[in-house]
Amino acid sequence: MRIALVIAARILRQRLRDRSAIIFAVLTPLGLALAFSILIPNEFSAFHTRFVVVDNDRDHVAAILVDDVLGSLAEAGVADVDALSSESEAISEVESDQASAAIIIPAGLTAAVESGQPAEIRIVGGEFPLSLEIARSAVERFAQAVGGVQLMVATAVAGGSMPDAATISAAQAAAGEPGPIAVSTAALDRRQADLATFYGAAMAIMFVFFATQYGALSLVADREVGTMSRYLAAPIPGWSILAGASIAGFVLGLVAMGVLAIATTVLQGADWGPPALLVPLILAAVVAAMGISTLVSSIARTPQQAGGLNAIVALSLAALGGVFIPVSQAPEGLAVAAQVTPHYWFLRGVDTLASDAATLADLGPSIGILLAIGALTGAIGLVRARAALTVR
Amino acid sequence: MSAAASAPNPRAEADDAPASPPAAGVVGAPTLVCTGLVKRFGDRLAVDGVGFEIARGETYGLLGPNGAGKTTSISMICGLLVRDGGDVVVDGKPIQPGTTAAKAAIGYVPQDLAIYPDLTARENLTFFGQLYGLGGRSLAARVAELLEVIGLADRAKDRTEQFSGGMKRRLNIAIGLLHRPRLLVLDEPTVGVDPQSRNAILSSVQELGREGMAILYTTHYMEEAERLCDRVGIIDEGRIRAEGTRRELVELVGQRDRIALAAGGDLQAAANVARALPGVHGATVREGGLDLLVTNGRTMLPQLLQALSGDGLAIRSVEVIEPDLEAVFLHLTGKALRD
Repeated sequence: MRIALVIAARILRQRLRDRSAIIFAVLTPLGLALAFSILIPNEFSAFHTRFVVVDNDRDHVAAILVDDVLGSLAEAGVADVDALSSESEAISEVESDQASAAIIIPAGLTAAVESGQPAEIRIVGGEFPLSLEIARSAVERFAQAVGGVQLMVATAVAGGSMPDAATISAAQAAAGEPGPIAVSTAALDRRQADLATFYGAAMAIMFVFFATQYGALSLVADREVGTMSRYLAAPIPGWSILAGASIAGFVLGLVAMGVLAIATTVLQGADWGPPALLVPLILAAVVAAMGISTLVSSIARTPQQAGGLNAIVALSLAALGGVFIPVSQAPEGLAVAAQVTPHYWFLRGVDTLASDAATLADLGPSIGILLAIGALTGAIGLVRARAALTVR
Repeated sequence: MSAAASAPNPRAEADDAPASPPAAGVVGAPTLVCTGLVKRFGDRLAVDGVGFEIARGETYGLLGPNGAGKTTSISMICGLLVRDGGDVVVDGKPIQPGTTAAKAAIGYVPQDLAIYPDLTARENLTFFGQLYGLGGRSLAARVAELLEVIGLADRAKDRTEQFSGGMKRRLNIAIGLLHRPRLLVLDEPTVGVDPQSRNAILSSVQELGREGMAILYTTHYMEEAERLCDRVGIIDEGRIRAEGTRRELVELVGQRDRIALAAGGDLQAAANVARALPGVHGATVREGGLDLLVTNGRTMLPQLLQALSGDGLAIRSVEVIEPDLEAVFLHLTGKALRD
């Protein structure tokens, strides 16, 4: 292990001396993260909309919907919810885009619920399908919570048209399923990282590949400049050469991500979550990046080729993994494909950390898959690199 | 030890005698024993049964043209290459690519520069010294000592990318000496080096030999082999064609001299004419002239010049060279060493 540390120290000294690691792994991602967060102010990072509600029931069941269910949306900062007195006024606001959806509570809802009669809550949506979906989801959850009640949730576009048969059928099916009476707002409790944190994390996971690659690149460079022959002639085991390169890549990756986390926290107020949870996530991300860098570099014949390949892989995985376009806005196929990238799992882990209640168990999938990616690709890369240590 | 002190025991490929034993004056078991080394690259047989021994304090030269198998042989001896056959024992311990401790007895100086250009001379020496288990004050002292020896003490803190070719070569050799190896393996260490640095390198190698280090030195420069080596193995096409001291090898040629002609015209036709003459044992074309191996060159010269001039060759200069290793190589292989 002493020899591996000696080799790692040599690599780190060279990379710090030529400043390449600092430029590519720290300064560039930090600059980009700062630029993105300045260009896109943090206040707009969270989704926000406005709903209007017309309570024609004015009784206690409707009050649960208005105060508890829709109130929780307002409390979570997802939507402002304003009560209006008439349906026409509400639809008018939707048509003029002053509200993204109008929720119409029928007169007699409480009585219908208590007597087991069917009732219908109408949701009129505007041009924003996401807003309509949020309103519909919240009201449907309420409907499910009112167990055993034939409560229909109807949705329509602005103008007040009636729901089609399929919608009614789906709503009835949903309403027919008994559920707990207490309205759960768990679905609304899932938080996302704010903008500063997202871009800090996105740049960190994208550029960590440029840091970890220096370990694997050193092996390619040693072959090119001839120093590998000295290693092979020296009384040292082959694994110490590989371990030295891996240690150097790991340290560079760790420092790069650590600096970014600290810098975006201090400079931009990013919230990376509790350090005790963040550190394992970062360690796993560095392992994944190291594995992929090792595999990619083992294919290359020259350092230049290895650097180019690593850049292509890093940027491609970043694009696929939601660094540039959030996976939630990507087509379904792309969203599925994103799950093969370490970027997706790291960003998902950072989102998880945005919740105050997050635990290490919540991070389990992210950390586990990141480590698995690193172990698989790294093992293949090291086997290939090891074979190159001795010319046959 | 000196070449003159060696026991005359030339071994030409034609006879089946075993490899020459360690030269006279050498005490104890050989530092290097390699036997029957074989290496194939695909269908090509790069090294075919190479074997020799080197005793403590002896400098052994592998002399051959580029592509003869020198570097491949050295790579197998140092454990860089997996060999297809043969054995290597250094200081009593077998060498394989996977072995570690036994390699500590070898100091390897590769043909190509193997130093980090973005590290200083001192950092390069210190780093490679650590690979050999050196450390602390003893390493610092050894590094300082070697920097003095190679004349780079005042440039110790400069990055090697700022060094001249000769300075880099000297540093390249010094790295191989850091751990005071029993066997120093130098693979064409003077290629691309200016005359002054080359002379300094050769003097250093001579000094190391006098200090008792066993040295394996490959070169395609006949003068280097003649100056440095107690014994020489002439290698061509992966096989050792002959082995012995310089005097022993030259005796293989007999009274044959080498005549170097600088000439213009149809050199290939002239070579064919020369080969047909009695007393001419070999003729090879090189750039700008011919190399001929003849019996009693000075006596033969008028007849030779007449025949070649009559064939239309424009002769510019003639040099008659007493038998040397170049002549030996020509005699053994039918071609010039530089081919």
